[in-house]
Amino acid sequence: MPSVAPASPLTAARGQLPYLAMVAPLVVFVVLTVILPVALFLFRAVDNRELQANLAATSAALSGWTAEQGLPPEPAFAALVRDLAAAQAAGHAGTLAARLNQAVPGSRTFILKTARLAAEGALTGPDVRSAVLAAAKGWQNPALWSVIAQERGRFTAFYLLTSLDLQRHPDGSIGAVPAEQALFLSILWRTIAISLSVTAICALLALPVAHVIVAAPRWAAAGLLALVLLPLWTSLLVRTVAWIILLQGEGPINSTLQGLGLITEPLRLVYTRGSLVVTMVQVLLPLMILPIVSVLRRIPPTYMRAARSLGAPWWTAWRRVQLPMLLPGLLTGSGIVFVFALGYYITPTLIGGPGDQMLSSFIVFYTDKTLNWGLAAALSVQLLAVLALAAGAVAAVRALASRRVA
Amino acid sequence: MRVEVWRGWLAWGITALVLAYLVLPLFVIVPMSLTSGTNLTLPVPGWSWRWFEVVLTDPRWVQALGNSLVVGLGSTVLAVSLATPAAVGLVWGRFPGRGLLLGLIATPLVLPIVILAVASFGFYATVGLMGSRSGLILAHAGLAAPVVLTTVMASLQSFDRGLMRAAASLGASPMTAFRRVLLPLIAPGVTAGAIIAFIVSFDEVVIASYLTTAEQRTLPRMIFSGVRESISPAIAAAAVLLVLFSAALLAIVTALQRRNG
Repeated sequence: MPSVAPASPLTAARGQLPYLAMVAPLVVFVVLTVILPVALFLFRAVDNRELQANLAATSAALSGWTAEQGLPPEPAFAALVRDLAAAQAAGHAGTLAARLNQAVPGSRTFILKTARLAAEGALTGPDVRSAVLAAAKGWQNPALWSVIAQERGRFTAFYLLTSLDLQRHPDGSIGAVPAEQALFLSILWRTIAISLSVTAICALLALPVAHVIVAAPRWAAAGLLALVLLPLWTSLLVRTVAWIILLQGEGPINSTLQGLGLITEPLRLVYTRGSLVVTMVQVLLPLMILPIVSVLRRIPPTYMRAARSLGAPWWTAWRRVQLPMLLPGLLTGSGIVFVFALGYYITPTLIGGPGDQMLSSFIVFYTDKTLNWGLAAALSVQLLAVLALAAGAVAAVRALASRRVA
Repeated sequence: MRVEVWRGWLAWGITALVLAYLVLPLFVIVPMSLTSGTNLTLPVPGWSWRWFEVVLTDPRWVQALGNSLVVGLGSTVLAVSLATPAAVGLVWGRFPGRGLLLGLIATPLVLPIVILAVASFGFYATVGLMGSRSGLILAHAGLAAPVVLTTVMASLQSFDRGLMRAAASLGASPMTAFRRVLLPLIAPGVTAGAIIAFIVSFDEVVIASYLTTAEQRTLPRMIFSGVRESISPAIAAAAVLLVLFSAALLAIVTALQRRNG
């Protein structure tokens, strides 16, 4: 270990080298296993390599063409056949067709067919345009040509627009997608609404518990805190499984109610919004109680007593004296619970119904089922943006509140 | 004063209800795992160890348990050997940008787990580590490293650096002083960090779902797919084992921290 007595700035800097060398392996490791994979994944939200690399000649031939002119002229079709033949030879036809299919659904099959024919040399002659249209009628759709004409750069806004229920019209303007296709904004609002209600319920339940823990004698407080910590140390998966067992059709809650003669048919308790919120609150509540307890411990109980002895009713004293002082703890807890809730996946998947799935479930859906990585990345960008906004809002409110108290 | 008393009782009543809501649901898995029937109904028709027998003898469950242990140990060793020196460097070093590095290392703690899982899946598929246990070990080590870093940094706060100078003045090389003086004294913190790292990996299910094939399934992964397909008392038995194992490890951590502080 180097000694801590720097003689000059240079030797001081050199003295820090061993410490840097101790930190470096972990930093390199985290960059390689976390930062780099996440950055590469998020980049897919704007990546347009498939179109840019494979349809360069076609989009060049389309410069100056707009959708109002009807189908593009002969040179564009000739360029398309050249591009598709090259893509087929390079083995890129599949990814190219899948990418165009995301923009113009239903186009995958005929694009693959055109590529195959182009590679076989079947689409030649003086009138390539007629040959292509005869082989695959789908090329009569000007929307497909608009996509090729518009998406010629290295980057695309397609996925980010789609994740906000927006689309680019053939004339280049941006507008909302038809109502029956809109999906993602409602998922975003649902994710925020579920997380907000979980946060609010946690705050309401945590306040009395925190007060009791702080007011209790030492030994009792330790026991109560242990009970709060116990679920925190149990795996999230196990806690969710426990709730499924409790709430299912033949589970203990339903059988007790039936045994008491209160209901005749089992209630549908699991796979609902209610079961999701009940489980998420149980899972996240300790994270709200702990910061409130730690703030409350530092507030002398004499403040409340002073306010009461001066004649303030309990509620007024609590609201005007206690609440402003425990606000930092409440804000920290709310921030943690909200941010954790936003990214939840296991609990909504296992215990929520189809209408209770949150953003994370759709990120899984688009990578697992439909292999639309661009859209999954755009939804991830959206999730991270909400997360950053929430963290920023909590920090801003904390700063404002501390200024008012001071 | 009557109202005061009532208010006190009300607060205690609410607290008791909230704590019951927090703790009691966990215990439902115990009778479920000991049922002699095949359904998850209460009251149970009779008691038996059959579902524990299934979990501990069925080759698929045994293999999953083995995978969980291998991945947990591998990622713990990796996380501890990277994070322990890094903690020393971050606590004792005075170079600029330490806060930035700390934030960088802590990224996996705030990142939604699904994003990390999907990103790792895409990355390991391109570098050819898909469907291998080493890929999962690397990913879990990244997740556990910030946790180990925090525990070791905390135990370094109470370490007297004069001891290192004393060792140096007695002729110990920096490596010897690190091994013979520093490590024994911060060992409880390092062990606690190691156990928590193991639990992080042992309980993790989302990354495990993305990076493993059927042969490399971990215990939580088996429970997860079991719940989605058909929920049987074997899942409750596996959950009980998972909880008991983590609880035993956490008891060790608590004992270590008490001895340390």
